Amino acid sequence: MALPIYASTGQRLWHYAFRIICGLILFYLIAPLLVIIPLSFNAQDFFTFTPEMLRLDPAGYSLEHYRDFFTNPDWQGPLWNSLAIAPVATLIAVALGTLAAVGLSQAHVPFKGAIMAILISPMIVPLIISAAGMYFFYSRIGLQGTYWGVVLAHAALGIPFVIITVTATLVGFDKSLTRAAASLGAGPARTFRKVQMPLILPGVVSGALFAFITSFDEVVVVLFMGAAGQKTLPWQMFIGLREQISPTILAAATVLIALSVLLLGTLELLRRRSERLRGLTPV
Amino acid sequence: MADATISGGMPTGREARPVTSGPMLAADGTPLRASLARSLRRQKLRALLLIAPLLLFILVTFVLPIGDMLLRSVQNGIVADTLPRTVAALSQDASEVPGEPVFDALYTDLVIAEEYKRHTQLGTRLNYESGGASSLFRGTGRAVGRFETSIYADQLRDADPAFDDSAQWAAWMADPGNRDALPQTADAYDAWATLTTEVHGDDPAEEDVGDFVYAALYRDLAAGSRPPAMPAVDVSGFETVTAKELFIDDDDAWGEPAIWNTLRAFAPRVTPGYYLNAVDLQMTPDGIAPRAEGDRIYVQLFIRTMVMSMLITASCILLGYPVAYLLASLPMRSANLLMILVLLPFWTSLLVRTSAWKVLLQQQGVINDLLVWVGVIGNDGRLVMINNQTGTIIAMTHILLPFMILPLYSVMKGIPPSFVRAAKSLGANDWTAFWRVYFPQSVPGIGAGSILVFILSIGYYITPELVGGTKGVFISNRIAYHISDSLNWGLAAALGTILLAMVLLLYWAYDKLVGIDNVKLGG
Amino acid sequence: MVQASRDAAFVEFDRVQKSYDGQTLVVKDLNLSIPKGEFLTMLGPSGSGKTTCLMMLAGFETATHGEIRISGRNINDVPPHKRGIGMVFQNYALFPHMSVAENLAFPLEVRKMDRAEREAKVKRALDMVQMGQFANRRPAQLSGGQQQRIALARALVFEPELVLMDEPLGALDKQLREHMQFEIKHIADNLGITVVYVTHDQTEALTMSDRVAVFNDGRIQQLAPPDELYEAPVNSFVAQFIGENNTLEGIVTVMDQNRCVVRLDSGDEIDAKPVNVARVGDRTKVSIRPERVEFNKSRLQPGAHTLRARVEEFIYMGDMFRTRLSVAGNDEFIIKSRNAPDQTRLQPGQEIEIGWLPEDCRALDAA
Repeated sequence: MALPIYASTGQRLWHYAFRIICGLILFYLIAPLLVIIPLSFNAQDFFTFTPEMLRLDPAGYSLEHYRDFFTNPDWQGPLWNSLAIAPVATLIAVALGTLAAVGLSQAHVPFKGAIMAILISPMIVPLIISAAGMYFFYSRIGLQGTYWGVVLAHAALGIPFVIITVTATLVGFDKSLTRAAASLGAGPARTFRKVQMPLILPGVVSGALFAFITSFDEVVVVLFMGAAGQKTLPWQMFIGLREQISPTILAAATVLIALSVLLLGTLELLRRRSERLRGLTPV
Repeated sequence: MADATISGGMPTGREARPVTSGPMLAADGTPLRASLARSLRRQKLRALLLIAPLLLFILVTFVLPIGDMLLRSVQNGIVADTLPRTVAALSQDASEVPGEPVFDALYTDLVIAEEYKRHTQLGTRLNYESGGASSLFRGTGRAVGRFETSIYADQLRDADPAFDDSAQWAAWMADPGNRDALPQTADAYDAWATLTTEVHGDDPAEEDVGDFVYAALYRDLAAGSRPPAMPAVDVSGFETVTAKELFIDDDDAWGEPAIWNTLRAFAPRVTPGYYLNAVDLQMTPDGIAPRAEGDRIYVQLFIRTMVMSMLITASCILLGYPVAYLLASLPMRSANLLMILVLLPFWTSLLVRTSAWKVLLQQQGVINDLLVWVGVIGNDGRLVMINNQTGTIIAMTHILLPFMILPLYSVMKGIPPSFVRAAKSLGANDWTAFWRVYFPQSVPGIGAGSILVFILSIGYYITPELVGGTKGVFISNRIAYHISDSLNWGLAAALGTILLAMVLLLYWAYDKLVGIDNVKLGG
Repeated sequence: MVQASRDAAFVEFDRVQKSYDGQTLVVKDLNLSIPKGEFLTMLGPSGSGKTTCLMMLAGFETATHGEIRISGRNINDVPPHKRGIGMVFQNYALFPHMSVAENLAFPLEVRKMDRAEREAKVKRALDMVQMGQFANRRPAQLSGGQQQRIALARALVFEPELVLMDEPLGALDKQLREHMQFEIKHIADNLGITVVYVTHDQTEALTMSDRVAVFNDGRIQQLAPPDELYEAPVNSFVAQFIGENNTLEGIVTVMDQNRCVVRLDSGDEIDAKPVNVARVGDRTKVSIRPERVEFNKSRLQPGAHTLRARVEEFIYMGDMFRTRLSVAGNDEFIIKSRNAPDQTRLQPGQEIEIGWLPEDCRALDAA
C-alpha cells in the first residue's frame, strides 16, 4: 500500500483519505469499549464525564463502583454462578465436540453434510428460538430452572465453535502423521494421545475459549431457562440495563473487557504456536 | 550400480496375467459395490461411533426442544380437553347459536372444569382469538355451581329416597345394564367420581352425588330410557329448567354467535390458528380473513425486522469493506496489530458493548455532551439516538461488524496481488484495476459476510430490547414477550417457526455459497 | 545376492483388487510375490495403482477383494500398527512436536523397550544415516535431505523385516536425490531387509531395484530386473515408459521364429524381432532405442534393412549428441550418439541412411 513515487495529487489525496476513513471505522469499533473504562472510575453516579474527570482531578475518580461490584451480593452471586456454569458447559462441549470433530475428519463418514449441518445449527438458529424451545422442552422434563438445565443448554450452544475450530485444525493436519504412527506400531489410542492430540491442541483450546465465552456471555437462554438460583453476570447486567441502570454495570463491563483482552491474548499465543508447528511440516 | 544385474523372476502367467473382469464385479463374482461396502463398513462405523455421542447430545438438548416448539405452534388441545362433551355436541349442531343438547353438555363440562380450575386457562387462551372470552368463562364458571339444576336432584329424591344414597348410586353405576340404558348419566357419574377422588380426595360411595349427575339422569329418563336395575320413576310431570336459558341469563354472550364460532374454530386438536395470527389473519366462520386494522402488527414487524437487518447488513458492508481491504493489503505485522481492534470488540461481551452504546447514546450521554460542547447542537436540542431505530442500527452494526470483516479479510487475503499488478501493466488505472479485477474476486467474501450478518441480525433479541425502545424492536422481542408476559406460547411458537424457516433458508444458502465447514472464526 | 524364487515368497499379493467408488477398479487382479531380501520397485505413472498397492500392504487401505500375505499369513485383517512394517512417507511424516531422537524412540517406546536399549538403538540408527549430531533438533530445523534421512532411520530403528517407501525422494533436488538413491540401496543391502519402493521416476527404479514392476491401468505390465526391462520390454507401454524410445508403425509381412519383416506405413520394410505380435498381417509398433540406431555405413551389417532419413535438428548435450530425424513419415525420430573425438556431427537438412541390428528392433503390440 505504500504510495509510489509517481502518484498523482489525486492518488495522494485518496491514499490519505482512505486511511482516515479506515481510521474512523476502527475508532467506531474500539471507542465504545475505551469510553467505558474511564467512566467506570467515575466518583459520581453519572454516565458521562464530569467536569472533575475532564480536569483529571483525582477527586473525580474513585473505585467505588468496583467496591460495589466485588462486595454487593447482587453482583457477586451472579459472578459466581457464571463461573460455576461456564467451565462445566465448556468441558462438555469440548469433550464431545473434539471427539466428533475427529470422527468427522475420517475419510468415510456417511451423511457427513447433514450431520455437520445439525451440529453447527445451534450457532445459526436465533437465540430466542433456541431459548423458547429449550424453555418449553426442559420444563416438560423438569430441567427448567435447574443448574444442569442451563449447563446443558450452554454446552449445546458452545459446541458449534468447538466443532469449527477443531475441524479447521484437523483439515490442516497431515494424515500421513497418523499413518506413520501406526506403521511404527502405535495403536489408535496411543496415536491420538501422542501424535494427534498435541498437534490439534491449539484448535481444541481456542474452541474451548469460544465455548467458554459463549456460555459466560449468554443471557437469552438464562433469562428463560434459569431460576433465581442461576442468575448469571449477563443476566444481572441485562436486568440492570433494562430497569434501573446502576453505574456498577460499568465496573462489571470493565472487568469483562479485561477478561476478553486476556482471552484474546491467549488466542493470539495459540495462533502463533500452531503456526510455528504447522511451519514445521514440509508440504 | 555395478551389480544391478540380479536375476529376477521372469513375468510368469500368474504374476502378470491380465484378467478380464467387468467393472462392476469383483474377482469372485460378487458385485464390486457390495465388496467395497463390506471393506468400508468398519471405517464408517468407527467414524459414526465417534460422532454419535455429540449427535445424540445435540439432538436431545437442542433439536428436540426446537421440534417441541414447532409442535406447540399447531397444538391446540385446550378446547377439546376442557370441554370434550361440548365439542362432541357442537359437531352435531350447525346452527349459529346451538340448541339445548350443546348447552347441556357445556353445563356438565363447565362444572367439571370449574372444579379443576381449568376454565380460566381456556378463557385466557380463547381471549387471544375473541375478546371477552376470558371474563365470560371466569364469570360463568363462578355462576355455574349455583345454577337451578338442583330441582332435578330434589324431585328424584322425593320420588324415591334411594336416589339420596351414595352407595346405592355406586352400585347402580357399576351395573352394565344401567350404564347401557343411561349413557349421559354414566358419563356424568364417572366424571363426578373421578373428580371427587382426584380433587377432594374423597370416596364417591360416601359423598353426595353432584347436581349435574341428577340433571343427566333426568335427561336420560325424559328421553325414555328404562334402566333395568334402578327404581322406575315417572319424570313426565317434573318441573324443568333449560341449560340454555340459565347460561344466557348469566351472560348474554352465550346467546351470541361469536363465542360459538370461536369454540368451533378451535375445537380441533391441530390448528393453523397461531400461524394465521402470526401473519395477521384469523379464522372466521366464513374462512380465513384479515384481522382488524388495529390488530395487524406481525407482518409489519416481520417487514421491519427484515428491513432493519438489511440496513444493518448494508452498513456492515460499507464499513467492513474498506477495513478488510486495508488489513489485507498491509504487511502482516501491521495488519495483525490493527486486527486486534477488530477482534477485541468481537471477543467482548455483548452486554458490555450494548451497555457502552446505552451510555454513549443517551440524551445526557457522552456523544450528546460532546456535540453540545463543540457547539453543533444547543443544550436543549440534544439528539434522541436511543430507544428508537437509530439506536438499534448503530449498536447492532457495531456488534456485527467483525462478522463482516473477518470473512471479507480471509477472502481478500487469498486474492494474489499479481492480478491487480497484471491489470495495471495492461494499462488499467487504479479504479479500473480495483473495480474490474479486485472487486469481483472479493464478492464471495461480501456474500459470506452478508448472509452471516443478516442471519445473526434477524434473530437478535438483546440489543434491540435494550436500545430499541418500541420502534426499534425485532420479531424476537415479540416472541419473548409472548413467552414470558402474555403467555401465548402457541403464538410465540408460530412466530418462532416462521423466523426459524427464514433463518434456515439463509443457512442453506450460506452452505451452498460458502460451505458450513468453511466458517472462519477469529481470523 | 538374492535369487528370486516363488517358493520363498515373503510378501504375496493374491488376486488383489481395489475400488474406491464401487464403479471402477484402481487395482485389477494383482498377483505378485516378493522373496525375502529383495528390493522391489513399483513404477508407473500417477493413477496407475502403485501407491494404492503399497497402502494396502501397509494396511492403510483395505483390499476390496483378494488376499495379501506376509510369510504365508493373511494380513487383511491385521491393523497397520500390528503389521510391523517400516514405512517411509512421501513427505517424511516426522512428528513436528517431537525432537529427532523422540521421533526415533517412538516405535521403541510403543514396543515397551527399556530406556538404555532404546537410546542405544536410536544412536545406532542415527549414526547409520550420519545424523548423530542432530538428535535434539526439531524436524523443522532440518533440511529436506536431513529430514529424509531421519525418516529412513525411524522406519528402520525397530528393525522391521519389510520396509515400504512411498516416493521418498520426490521432494529432493536432483543431486541429493541421486545421492540418496545409493545410500538407501546400500543400507537396504547391508541390513538384508526386504524393500518395496514406489516411484514414478524410472531412473530411480532402474538404479536401485532388484526387480521392477511396471504398473499401468491397475495392472502390472511387466515384472523384470532393470536391464531386462530396458532392453526387452514386453509391450509398447513398457517400451514407451522406460527410457527414450522411437516408434514406427506398420504391418507384419513375414514372420519367423525370432525374426520378422514389418512393412511400415510409409512403404519401407524393416527387420525386427517379434515380441508381442502373433501372425502375418498384425499391426505393430516397432520400438528402437535411440542409442541403438546406427548411421555410420561402415558399422551397418551387410544385408540389413536400412531407411532413408533427413536430419531435422541437432542438439548438443555435452556427453551426448541428440539428433532429431525424419524417418518413414515420423519426424520425432531421435538418435543419440556419444560425444567422442571421431563422432560425426550431423547437420540439419542432411540426408542419411540409418539402420540397426534386427534384435534391437522389437515388434510390439499396436496399442
